[in-house]
Amino acid sequence: MTVSHHPRRPLRIAVTLVLALALVACSGYPNTTIGAHSDVGREIDSLTYLLLILGGIVFVFVEGLLVYILIKFRERPGDTTPAQTHGNTTLEVTWTMLPAVILAIIAVPSVRTIFRTQAKAVPNALQVDVVGHQWWWEFRYPQYKVITANELYLPVGRTVNFSLRTDDVIHSFWIPQMSGKRDVVHKDRPNYMWFTPESSFVWNGACAEYCGASHSNMRFKVFTVPPAQFATWIKHQQQGPVFPAAAAAATAADTSKGAAATAAVAAAAPADTATGTWPRDKLPSWTIPETPVPANVTVAATSGDATRGAQLFKTGACIGCHTIQGVSPGIIGPNLTHVGSRTTIAGALYPNDIEHLRLWIKDARAMKPGSIMPPMGKGLPETMGTFTDQQIADLAAYISSLK
Amino acid sequence: MATTVAAPPSRAATLKYEKGIWSWLTTTDHKKIGQLYLYTALAWFLVGGIEALIIRTQLYGPNGRLVSADTYNQLFTMHGTTMIFMAIMPLSAAFFNFLIPLQIGARDVAFPRLNAFSYWIFLCGSLFINASWLIHKAPDGGWFSYAPLSTRTFNPGLNMDFWVIGIQILGVSTLAAGFNFITTIINMRAPGMHFMRMPVFTWAAFVTQFQIILAFPILTVAVVFLLFDRFFGTQFYEPAAGADPLLWQHLFWLFGHPEVYILILPAFGLVSEVLPTFSRKPLFGYPVMVYSLILIAFLGFGVWAHHMFAVGMGPIADSVFSVTTMLIAIPTGVKIFNWLGTMWGGSLRFTTAMLFAIGLVCLFTIGGISGVMHASPPADLQQTDSYFVVAHFHYVLFGGSMMGLFAGVYYYFPKVTGRIMNETLGKWHFWLMFIGMNLTFFPMHFAGLDGMPRRIWSYDANQGWTNDNHVSTIGAYILFVGMLIFVYNMWRSRRSGTRVGNNPWDAPTVEWSTPSPPPPYNYAKIPQITSRYPMWTREGPHSISAAYPVGAPAEAPEPTAEELHIPMPTPTLKPLLASLALTLAFIGLIWHKQVPIIILGLALFAVVLLSWVLTPLEPEH
Repeated sequence: MTVSHHPRRPLRIAVTLVLALALVACSGYPNTTIGAHSDVGREIDSLTYLLLILGGIVFVFVEGLLVYILIKFRERPGDTTPAQTHGNTTLEVTWTMLPAVILAIIAVPSVRTIFRTQAKAVPNALQVDVVGHQWWWEFRYPQYKVITANELYLPVGRTVNFSLRTDDVIHSFWIPQMSGKRDVVHKDRPNYMWFTPESSFVWNGACAEYCGASHSNMRFKVFTVPPAQFATWIKHQQQGPVFPAAAAAATAADTSKGAAATAAVAAAAPADTATGTWPRDKLPSWTIPETPVPANVTVAATSGDATRGAQLFKTGACIGCHTIQGVSPGIIGPNLTHVGSRTTIAGALYPNDIEHLRLWIKDARAMKPGSIMPPMGKGLPETMGTFTDQQIADLAAYISSLK
Repeated sequence: MATTVAAPPSRAATLKYEKGIWSWLTTTDHKKIGQLYLYTALAWFLVGGIEALIIRTQLYGPNGRLVSADTYNQLFTMHGTTMIFMAIMPLSAAFFNFLIPLQIGARDVAFPRLNAFSYWIFLCGSLFINASWLIHKAPDGGWFSYAPLSTRTFNPGLNMDFWVIGIQILGVSTLAAGFNFITTIINMRAPGMHFMRMPVFTWAAFVTQFQIILAFPILTVAVVFLLFDRFFGTQFYEPAAGADPLLWQHLFWLFGHPEVYILILPAFGLVSEVLPTFSRKPLFGYPVMVYSLILIAFLGFGVWAHHMFAVGMGPIADSVFSVTTMLIAIPTGVKIFNWLGTMWGGSLRFTTAMLFAIGLVCLFTIGGISGVMHASPPADLQQTDSYFVVAHFHYVLFGGSMMGLFAGVYYYFPKVTGRIMNETLGKWHFWLMFIGMNLTFFPMHFAGLDGMPRRIWSYDANQGWTNDNHVSTIGAYILFVGMLIFVYNMWRSRRSGTRVGNNPWDAPTVEWSTPSPPPPYNYAKIPQITSRYPMWTREGPHSISAAYPVGAPAEAPEPTAEELHIPMPTPTLKPLLASLALTLAFIGLIWHKQVPIIILGLALFAVVLLSWVLTPLEPEH
C-alpha cells in the first residue's frame, strides 16, 4: 500500500531531472525545442520526455547487452565448438511483445496529443494569417487590418491561431521555443496551427522546409508581449506611416488613406512606449543577426535626407513592390508602413540600421542570394534603379524614419 | 551433343575476352559485373564523401563562406542523390550480382546480358547526372526535389533537368536488375535449395527486389510527370493550374519509404551472414529473421506519410501513419534481438568483417530509437526538417547500411579476389569510421533539438550551434581518413593480399565451396543442398581453433568451361552499346530538346536491341 502512495515518484524524479537538464541547456541555446514556452509546446515536451526516457532505457538495455555479449562470449584459447542453438520460441515471442508494449505506451499519448493539438482553436483566438514568400514572411492580423513582415507580435496568455498560406513554393513555419513546425503549402490549401504563448520574450523563428536559394535566410522574430503592450503595438500599426512627408504624399493618393495618414502624423511619437515595440536596447543578443556583409557590396557613408528620400521613393521603382500606407500600393515585397519600428530587415538577415538599409537598397541580390528585389544602385548589373549613393542614403533615411 | 562443339574459338579470340579492358566491356559474368558495380559505387561513395566534406567545412564555424549558397544547395542535393542512388544501392547491387547465383548454387543470373545492361545504364546515368557539375548546374532541389520548387516556374535552369533525367536512367537500371534477380532466385536454385534453406542474404535480396519492382515504378511515374512538366508544359505539379501541391510528396514518399528499406535490408542480409560465421553458431531464429524481413518490406509500403506529418494531413491520417510506423519497429527490433541471440553463447572472433557487423547492430539501434521518436507526430513536428532528422537517417544509412556493406566487403573480398584484406588496416578503418561516424552524427541530435534547421547554408554564432558543428566537422574528417585507409587497403590487398582457399573463414554457406575466386561457371558440378549450412556439420563449424585464413589456395588452375563442356554466354558489347544509345537520346532531350539527337539515340537503341534479341545467349552447338 505504501507503494501505491507514490506510484509515479520515479517518473516524476526522472522528468524533473530532464527538465533541469533542459534548463541548463536553455541558457546557451536560444532556439532549443526542449522546455517550450506555450501550452502546445509543453504538450509536445511531455511527449518528447517520454520518448527520451523510453528511448534511453532501450538504448542502455540493448547496448549494455551487446557490450556484455562481446566481453563474455569473446573467443578464448581452448574454446570448444559452441552449442549450436537455432532459436528459442519463448525468447523470440518475448522480444516481439516487449517492444509492442513500449510502443503502445508511446502511441496512446501521441494520438491523444494529435487530436488535442489539431482541434479547432478557441473562438476568441487572435487570428494571424501567415504568408510564406521566397524568402520572407508576411504577417497579417485580419481582426485588426494590420499587415507587417518578418516580425510577429503576440500577446501573452491569448491563443493565437495561425492560418498558413503561400503563393510560391512550400515553406515551413517554425518557432522552436513555442511549438512544432507546420508546412506552408499553398494559398488555396491553408494549414492551421495554434498555441498560447506563456511568457514574454523575443524568440527566433525560421523556415524549416528547403525552399530555394535563400532558404537559410528566411528567418523571423517573434515578440510575445503583455496584452496591454500588444494593444498599443497593434493600435500603432493600424495607423499610417509616421513621417511628415507622408501627409503631403497622401494628398496625391486616395483621400480615405490620406486622412488616416494625416491622423497618424498628428499622433506620431516614435518612442517605444507609444509604438508598443520591443525596446531595441533590451533585445537579447541572439536575436540580433550577425550576417557579414558581402565584400563586393559597398556604399558611401553620406548622411541622407528623409524628405528627399520620400520623394525618391514615390517617383522610383519602389512603389511597384512595396506598400507604404497612403503612399504606395505594391504588394510584391514586404509592407514598409512601419518598417522603421522593426529590428531586422531582409528576412531577419541583417539588423535594421541605416548602414544595412543603404547596402540593401543598393544591391539586395548580393546581400541575399536569389532575392527577388533587384539591385537599385546606379551602374550595377541587372539594376532596376539608377540611384546614386547619395540618393540611396536619402531613401534609407526615409525608410528608417517610418517607425 | 554438347561434346560436339562446332568450331572451338581460337585461343587468341578467347584471350581477348578473358583479359584486359575488353573483357570488362563485354562481360556477362555476374561476378565481373558485381565487381564493376563495387568499384563504381565505391568511387561515387568517395565523390559523395567529398561533397559531404565540403558541406561540413562550410558549416564548421558560423557564417562560413567557403561556398556560395547556390553551390551549397547543389552540394547537399547531390550528396543525398549520390549516396542513395549511386553509392549504397549499387553497392548492394554489387553483392546481389556477385552473391545471389553463388548462394543459390547457380551458374549465372537468369538474364546475363540484361544484367550487363543494368550496370552500363547505371554507369551512364550516374555520369550523366554528375556531368552537371562541369557547368556548375548540378541539381539543387534537395534529393527529394519537392514540387513546386522543382518545377520550371521556380527552377528554370538545367539543374533539375539533370536530376529528372538522371534519376529516370538510374531507375531503368534498378528495375531491370530487380526482375532479373527475382527470376534468378525463383528459377535457378540448385536442387535441394528450398526457400527455407536459402542463405539470409539471398532472402534479403529477394525481398528487396520485390520492394524495388513495386516502389520504383512509382518514382518513375512521379518523375515522368515532372519531366513532362519541365519539358512539354504539362501541369501535374503546378498548383497555379489547380494541381495538388502535395501530389509530388505523396508519390515520392510512397517510393521513398520503401527505398529506405531497399537501402537497409541488403545490409541486414550481409550481417546475418557474417555474425553466424564469426560467432561459430547458426543464425538465431532463422525463420523469424526471414518473416521479419518480409514483414518490414510489407509494412514499409504503409508508412510513407510519416515523412509528411508537418504538411497538415489532419489528425486521422497523422494517427494512422504514426501507428503503422511504430508497428514497423517491432520486426526491426526482433532482428536486433535475434542478432544478439546469435552471438549469445558463441565464440566471437573480432575480424574486421565482424567488427563492422557489430557496428551495424550498435549504431542501427540508435537510428531505430530516434526513428521511433519521429513516429510520434507531435514530437516529430519539433524534430522533422531539423538536424535531429539528419542525425537519425545517418545513423540508419551510415551506421546501418554502410556498416553492413563494409562488413560484406571484408567478408567476401577473399571470395571475389582470392586474397584476404589486410586485417590491421581493416581495424584502423573500422575504428576511425566508428569514432568518426559518432563524432559526426551524434552532435547533430543536439543541434536539431536546439533548433537548427536542415539544409541551411550558414548560421550565426549566437544561435548556440557552433560547438556541435565544430565536432561534426572534425568527425567527418576522421571518417574520411578511415575511408582513405579502406581504399588503400583494398588496392593493396587486391595486388598482394594473402592468397586463400575455398573457405577462409570456415563459413557455413554453399558459396564457400567453390574456389576463390570462383571459375566463370561457378560450380563445376551443381551442388546438391541438404541443409541450411552445407559447409558445417550438424555439430557446427569444423576447425574451431584454426587461425584465419583456413585452408590453402588450390595449386592447380581450375579447368576451363570448355574442358568441362559447360556452355557459357558469349561475351557481347551490345548491352554497353544499348546503354550508350539510350543515354544519347536523353542527352538530346536535355540539350535544348534536340529532336534529331533523340531520334538518333532511340533508333540506335532499337537496332542494338533487335540485334541483341536475335543473337542467342550462348554459342550454337
